[in-house]
Amino acid sequence: MPGRGRCPDCGSTELVEDSHYSQSQLVCSDCGCVITEGVLTTTFSDEGNLREVTYSRSTGENEQVSRSQQRGLRRVRDLCRVLQLPPTFEDTAVAYYQQAYRHSGIRAARLQKKEVLVGCCVLITCRQHNWPLTMGAICTLLYADLDVFSSTYMQIVKLLGLDVPSLCLAELVKTYCSSFKLFQASPSVPAKYVEDKEKMLSRTMQLVELANETWLVTGRHPLPIITAATFLAWQSLQPADRLSCSLARFCKLANVDLPYPASSRLQELLAVLLRMAEQLAWLRVLRLDKRSVVKHIGDLLQHRQSLVRSAFRDGTAESPKRICPVPPVSTVTGDENISDSEIEQYLRTPQEVRDFQRAQAARQAATSVPNPP
Amino acid sequence: MASAPWPERVPRLLARRLPSYPPPPPTVGLPSMEQEETYLELYLDQCSAQDGLAPPRSPLFSPVAPYDMYILNASNPDTAFNSNPEVKETSGDFSSVDLSFLPDEVTQENKDQPVISKHETEENSESQSPQSRLPSPSEQDVGLGLNSSSLSNSHSQLHPGDTDSVQPPPEKPNSDSLSLASITPMTPMTPISECCGIVPQLQNIVSTVNLACKLDLKKIALQAKNAEYNPKRFAAVIMRIREPRTTALIFSSGKMVCTGAKSEEQSRLAARKYARVVQKLGFPARFLDFKIQNMVGSCDVRFPIRLEGLVLTHQQFSSYEPELFPGLIYRMVKPRIVLLIFVSGKVVLTGAKERSEIYEAFENIYPILKGFKKA
Repeated sequence: MPGRGRCPDCGSTELVEDSHYSQSQLVCSDCGCVITEGVLTTTFSDEGNLREVTYSRSTGENEQVSRSQQRGLRRVRDLCRVLQLPPTFEDTAVAYYQQAYRHSGIRAARLQKKEVLVGCCVLITCRQHNWPLTMGAICTLLYADLDVFSSTYMQIVKLLGLDVPSLCLAELVKTYCSSFKLFQASPSVPAKYVEDKEKMLSRTMQLVELANETWLVTGRHPLPIITAATFLAWQSLQPADRLSCSLARFCKLANVDLPYPASSRLQELLAVLLRMAEQLAWLRVLRLDKRSVVKHIGDLLQHRQSLVRSAFRDGTAESPKRICPVPPVSTVTGDENISDSEIEQYLRTPQEVRDFQRAQAARQAATSVPNPP
Repeated sequence: MASAPWPERVPRLLARRLPSYPPPPPTVGLPSMEQEETYLELYLDQCSAQDGLAPPRSPLFSPVAPYDMYILNASNPDTAFNSNPEVKETSGDFSSVDLSFLPDEVTQENKDQPVISKHETEENSESQSPQSRLPSPSEQDVGLGLNSSSLSNSHSQLHPGDTDSVQPPPEKPNSDSLSLASITPMTPMTPISECCGIVPQLQNIVSTVNLACKLDLKKIALQAKNAEYNPKRFAAVIMRIREPRTTALIFSSGKMVCTGAKSEEQSRLAARKYARVVQKLGFPARFLDFKIQNMVGSCDVRFPIRLEGLVLTHQQFSSYEPELFPGLIYRMVKPRIVLLIFVSGKVVLTGAKERSEIYEAFENIYPILKGFKKA
C-alpha cells in the first residue's frame, strides 16, 4: 500500500496489512519483512499521527478509583474505626461516599469539602441505624467548622435523595450519660457524689421525656437538655449532699464539657417541675422554689403524666381571641409621579462634590504617609 | 394499696382536686383512677417502645391499640368504664385533629362544655359523657360529617383511617351538633376563612430592573449622597432611599437590584426613584424589564407545633435538624415555596414570584400544622 512507509529491508513501498493469528501486521509484500505488529507497537511516524486524549475523556476515569477518592474512602474507614462503630456501618458509609463521588459537583469540590463529606457519610449511616452520633462530635473529630459541615450535609442529603431519620434521643441519653465519670469514687469525685448508673440513667430518661412533652426539646439542640436533665437526676437522688454543687462544677467533676445553653435549659426544666408541684396540694403548701423542688423530683416524676396534663391543660384554653393587628394598607400604585425635589435631596451640589473630593484626597494622603516615628 | 406510702395515694387526691365541670364521682371513680394509671403506663410504654422519645400522645403515631379500645367501648359503654378514660385521653388527643376543620370561633364556644374532656371527668351528665354519646353517634355524624367531607381534604391526606374510626368526636355534645352544622360553612367562602383570618404579611420584595446603559460607579458614588461604593469589597454601588425604605445594588452594566420593599407596587416605585436618581446624574437610564424575583412573607399560627412529628409524616418535603437550625424547612412542591416553620408557630414563606403563591402556600400548610397542634 502506498503512503505507509518503506520496508526497511528492501525499501519497497508495497506494504500489506495482514493478520497473523488475529494480530494485524504490516508486511512487505516483496521481502516478507514484518514492519509493524499491529497495535502492540507503533513506528515513530505513526506515533506522530496520534492525538492526545485527556484523561477525563478516556474511559479510564470511570474504571479506576481516583487517588482522591481512595483517600476519602480510607478516611471513612478510619473514622468508623475511631468511633468503634459496628463493621456493617463501614460498608454502608463507604457505599455512600462512592455514591456521592459519582456526582461531578463532589468530584470537583475542594479538599476541605471532601474531608467534611467523609463525616457526612458516617453521620448518615449512624442516623439510619439509630446510633447516637452528634454533628458536634464529628466536627470535633474532623477539625471542621459546623457551618461547612452543615452546608455539605444538606447538599449531600438532597443530592443522594436520602431519608435520614432524626437523632434518637433515647440512645443519646444512654450514651451521653454513660460518659459521665460519676459511677466510681476517684480522687476528684468524693464518695457522696458517686451514683449508681442505672438509677441515674432511668431518672435522666424520665426527665428528658418530661422536657420533650413540655416543649423544651423541639427546635433546640438536644445535648444541653440532656446535660441539665442528668444534673437534676443526679442531684435529686441525694439532694442533701448534692444541692450545694453547681452545674458547672458537676460537669467538671464528671469530666464532661458544659454546653452553653445547659444552664437556661436547667432553669426551664425547674420551672416545669415547679408548675407540676403546684398541682400537688401537699407540695403546694411547702412553697417550693427552684432549689427545694429538687428534693421532690422523684415524686413528681412518678406521677408526671397526670401532673403534666393538669399543669399544662390551661395552656390551650389560654389563647385569647386577639384581633389580628391589621397592618396599614398602603395605597401605593407604583406609578406615582416622582417629584424633582425628592430626587434632588439625594444628590450633592457641585460645592459639596468639591468638598468631598478634597476630603477624600486629604484622607488618602494621611493614610498613605506612614506615621512619623 | 391500702398500706401504700404518700406517693401512692397521690392519684386519689388528684381525682378529687382537679376542677372538673360536673362534680367528680364518689368512690366508684377511685379504683378506676388507680387502674387508669397502670393502663396508661402500659399504653405509654408501648408507645415509647415504638417511638423512642416521640411524645406518646401524639395522635399520629399512636399504635392501633386506642382504636381497639374505642371500638370495645362502643359495644358496651357501661362495663368499659375503666378503659374509657384512656379512650377519652387518646380521643382527646384526636380531638385536636378532628376539630381542625372547624373555625376557631366554634371551638371557643364549646370550651364551656367539656369539649377537650379530661378523663378526670368520669361520670358526666348524659349530654356530655362520651358513653352516652357513643350509642348515638349518628346525630353528630349528620351534623359534622357533611362539614368534614367538604372541608377537610387535608385530613384524608394525613390519616384516612383515623378520621373514619374516630369521626364521631366524643367532644361534641349532642345539643351542639345542630348548631355546629349551621355555623360551620359547607364550602369555604374565601380561602382565608379556612385559616381563621390569618393572612401572611409580606416582609421583603426583591426585584431587578435593567437601566440599559453603562454606568460610571465612581461618578455615582461621588455625586450621590445616599450611595456607598467599595470596589474591593463588592463591585456595585449600594444606594438607599427613605421612601419607600429600600436598598438598591447598582452595577456598572446598568442592571439594578432593589430590595426591602413591603409590596410589589412599593418595589416598583422605589426602582423608578433609583432610576430617576441615576438619570439626574447624567446617565441615559431607562426602565426596562422590571421583574419581581422573590417575595418573603411571614405569619403566626398562634399555637406551638410538634416539628418532630411533622418531619416524620412529611419527610419527603421537610428537613428538620435541631443541631443546625431551630426551624423546620418545608419545601412545598405546589406552589414552589420554601417555608420555615418554628416551634412557636411562626412561619416564614419565601421563594414566591407572586403574592398569590404565598397565600396559597399558607393555605396548604395551615391544615397540616393544625394537625400537629398539641394541647
